[in-house]
Amino acid sequence: MIAREKLSLLKAKFGDAIQRADMPDENRLFVFVEATVLKRICAYIFAEMDARYVISIGADDRPFSGQFLVAHDFAFDHDHLLCSVLAYLAAENPKVDSISEVVPAASWAEREMRDLVGIEPVGHGYLKRLVLPDGWPKDVHPLRKDVLWNEVPEGFDENREFTFDEPPEGCTVVPFGPFHPTLDEPAHFRLYVEGERVRGCEYRGFMAHRGIEKLAESVLNYNDIPVMAERICGICGCVHSVAYVQSVENAAGIRPPPRAEYVRTVLLELERLHSHLLWVGLACHVVGFDTLFMQSFRIREPVMWIAEKITGNRKTYGLCVVGGVRRDITPELGAELRQVLDKLEAEWRAVAEAVLQDRNIRKRTEGVGIANKTLVKQAGLVGPVARAAGVEMDCRRDHPYAAYNRVQFDVITAQGADVWSRVEVRLREVFESINIIRQCLQKMPDGSLKLEIRNEIPSGRIGLSSVEAPRGESHHFVITGENNRPRRWRVRAPTYQNLQGVPAMIKDQQLADMTITLGSIDPCFSCTDRLETIELKSGAAKVWSHSELFNLVRRSR
Amino acid sequence: MNLLQPLFGALANAGLVLLLAPLFQGALRKLTAIFQSRQGPPLLQPYFDLLKLLGKEDIESGESPVVQRFAAYLSLATVLTMAALVPMGFAAPLNGAGDAILLIYMLTLCGVSTLLAGLAAGSTYSLVGVSREMMTMIALEPLLAIAVFVGAIQAGSFRLERVLNGSVYAAGNFPWSAVVMLAVMLFSFQAFVQKVPFDISEAETELMEGPLMEYSGPKLALFKYAQMAKLMVYSGIFVALFAPWGSDLAFPINWLFFWAKVCVLVVLVTLIAATHARYRIDQALRYFAGLLAVAFAALILASYGH
Repeated sequence: MIAREKLSLLKAKFGDAIQRADMPDENRLFVFVEATVLKRICAYIFAEMDARYVISIGADDRPFSGQFLVAHDFAFDHDHLLCSVLAYLAAENPKVDSISEVVPAASWAEREMRDLVGIEPVGHGYLKRLVLPDGWPKDVHPLRKDVLWNEVPEGFDENREFTFDEPPEGCTVVPFGPFHPTLDEPAHFRLYVEGERVRGCEYRGFMAHRGIEKLAESVLNYNDIPVMAERICGICGCVHSVAYVQSVENAAGIRPPPRAEYVRTVLLELERLHSHLLWVGLACHVVGFDTLFMQSFRIREPVMWIAEKITGNRKTYGLCVVGGVRRDITPELGAELRQVLDKLEAEWRAVAEAVLQDRNIRKRTEGVGIANKTLVKQAGLVGPVARAAGVEMDCRRDHPYAAYNRVQFDVITAQGADVWSRVEVRLREVFESINIIRQCLQKMPDGSLKLEIRNEIPSGRIGLSSVEAPRGESHHFVITGENNRPRRWRVRAPTYQNLQGVPAMIKDQQLADMTITLGSIDPCFSCTDRLETIELKSGAAKVWSHSELFNLVRRSR
Repeated sequence: MNLLQPLFGALANAGLVLLLAPLFQGALRKLTAIFQSRQGPPLLQPYFDLLKLLGKEDIESGESPVVQRFAAYLSLATVLTMAALVPMGFAAPLNGAGDAILLIYMLTLCGVSTLLAGLAAGSTYSLVGVSREMMTMIALEPLLAIAVFVGAIQAGSFRLERVLNGSVYAAGNFPWSAVVMLAVMLFSFQAFVQKVPFDISEAETELMEGPLMEYSGPKLALFKYAQMAKLMVYSGIFVALFAPWGSDLAFPINWLFFWAKVCVLVVLVTLIAATHARYRIDQALRYFAGLLAVAFAALILASYGH
C-alpha cells in the first residue's frame, strides 16, 4: 500500500518526530508531527520525495484540542496519494516555521494563515498582508472561533488605502486593475515598466473576499454548503460543490451510489466544455481576434441550454448533496445531450483547425508568458498551465473521483510552456470531455441518486478532495465538526496557485503581453447576474423576470 | 468663378465625407457581424451613435483640457481638409492649393492630433498609446510618401491632379515599381485606417482606447467621426493612386466606378480585420520595416523608369 510505503520512508528519516499517522484509505495519508520538524519534513516531501505542493491550512482548534492546527497538503500525483502533514501549535501566540523558503509555492497560503487565523509563519520573506485590507485592526483574525461571522471590529478603517512597495529604480508604475476591460474582477497589479518591458509587479487582490469559509463554519450546515460552494465561482461552480461534498464524504467514509457518480462526472465535463469554449473565445478577444470570440460563444451556447434542461439552470446547477446528487439525466435528456455533443464536436473541430493553423495567433502567443517545469514545481502551478509545460498532471486520472476511473481519456499535454501551448491544450481537451460524457451516458448504471445518511457525520475527521476544474486542480480540505457543520473548510481554487506564478511569467515581457499572459491562466472571475432597469423620470424600478429576460435574449431563435 | 469653384468643390467633398462616412462604418460593422454569426447593429447605427455622443454633456477632463479640445478639432479638420485634396469621383477640388507633399503633411497632422490627445489625457495608458502611435507614425509615413513619390516620378510632377490619377502606371515600360507599391500599400492599409491587426495604439483590451481614454461626449464624437472619415479618405487616395481605371469615362459612370472601388476596399479592410489578431508593437514595426525596404526598392526602380 502506497500510503504505508510513504509513511515508512518518513518514519525512517524522522523517527519519533512523527507522532501519529492516519490512513483512512489507500489514497490518503495524514501525518501528525511535532511543529519543530514541520519545515524539514515538508522540505523532504517536496524536494526528495518529489511531491507537489497543494496548499497550507491554518485552523483554530482551541475549543476542541486547546491548540492551533496547521496543515500542509501535498499530492503524490503518480502514486494517487493525497497527503497532509499536520502539527499542533500553542494556543498563545501561535508560531510555526515558514516553509516558503523550501516550498516557494506556500508563500500566499502562509500569508493568508497569518491574516485570517493569526498563525505567524516565522522566517517568511515577505510578510505583507494578503487577504485583509490594510485598515483592518492588527490583532483581529476573522477565522478564529472567538470572532463572529458578521463582526466588524473596532478600529476598522474602511477608507485606508493600500500601502505599496517602492518600484525598482528606472521603472514607471503602470496600474493594471482593479478595473480594466480584460480583468472582469477586482484585482490590482502594479506593473513596474521600463519602456514597454515589464520588470516586475506587485499584486493586491482579495478585494471581493466574501468570507465563505467563515459562513460555512458558523452558520450553514453540511447540505447548505454545496449550494454556496457553487457560488464561489461563476464558471466552475459545480467543481467546487463536488469538491466540497467529496471532501465531506471522504472524511465520513461514505460513497455515493454509482449513478450519482456518473451524473456528477457528466455535469463536471459539461462545465469544462463551456469553460474551455469561453476561455478560447476570451483569449482570442484579448489579442484582438473578435471573430473567433463570437464564434466560440455561439458554439458554447447549446451547452448552456442543455445544462439548463438537466439542472434547471445555465450555471450554478444545484446538483450536489453530501452522499449523492439531486438531479437525474433521463434517457430523453441523454439523447438530447448526445445531439448537442455531436454538433459541438463538428463545430469545434473547425475552430480548432482554424486556430491551430493560424500563424497570426501563434505569433502573438508563442514564447509569451513562459511557465516552465521548474516554475510549475516551485510555484505549484496546476491545470492547463502545468500541462502546457509538459507536466502530465490531471486530478481526474491521478486522484480519480466520481466516475473517472471507469472512463478512458487522454491527458493532453504540450511542450511549449507558453500561452500558445495553453491554447493548444485547452482546444484539444474539449474533445476529451466530449468523449468522457459519451462514455458516461453509455455506461451509466440504473439505481438511486443519493445515499440516505442516518447517522450523524462523526466530528474531528479530516477529508481531502482534489477535483480537476477546467483551469486546474480545485482542492478542498474539511475537518468535520459538531452541529451538522464542518469545523474548518479550506477551499483552494486553481487560480490561487496559478496567480502566484504570474509575476515570474510576465517578467521581462512586453507590456502588450500582460493581458494575454494573465488571461492564459484563466483567472477565476466570479459574478452574479441580475438585471434591474430604472425609469429615469418616475424613478420606478423594474426587476426583469426570468421569462422576460428569456424572451429578450432568445428572440431570434 | 475661378475662386468659387474650388471652394464649393471643397465643401462638397467635405460634406460628402461627413455624410457617407458613418454609412461606411455601419456597413463595416454589419459585415463584421455577419462574419461573426451575429445580427449586428442596424446599418444607420453609427449616425445615431454620433448624434448621441454630440448631445452629451461636454466634460473637461485630463491633464490639459484645452489641448484635448484642440486635438479633437484638429483631427476632424485635418481629415476634412484632406478630403478636399483627394478626388472623390471628380477631380480634387483644391487642386491648385497644394501638391502631393501637402497631402503627406496632412497625414502627419492626423497622427499628431492623436499624439496631442494622448498627451492631454496624461494617464499612463494613454502615454503608452502615444508612444506606440509615434512609432507607428514614423514607420508608416515613409510608406505613403514613397507611394506618392513613385507616382510623382512617373508623372514628372508633384501636382495633385497628375499624381492622384493612377500616375504610378505612367512609366513607359512595364510599371514594376507600381506593382510593388500596390502590394506594399495593400499590406499596410489596415495600419493607415487603424484597424486590426494594427490598431495597436488604442487596443481596447490592453490600453483601454489609449490616447482616447479621457474623451467623452462631443469631443469623442469628433474623434470617432474623424476615424470614420479617415477610412473613406484613405480609400479615396488609394483608389486614385493605384486603381484609376474608369476615371476618364463619362459622368456618372466614372463616379460610380470610383465608389464601387472604395466599397471593395472597405470590404477588404473588414475581412482582414475580422480574421486577424492584433500584432504587438515590435512585431508590427518589424513588419513595417520589411515593407519599407521593399518600398525603397520600388522607389529606385521608379527612378530608373520602371
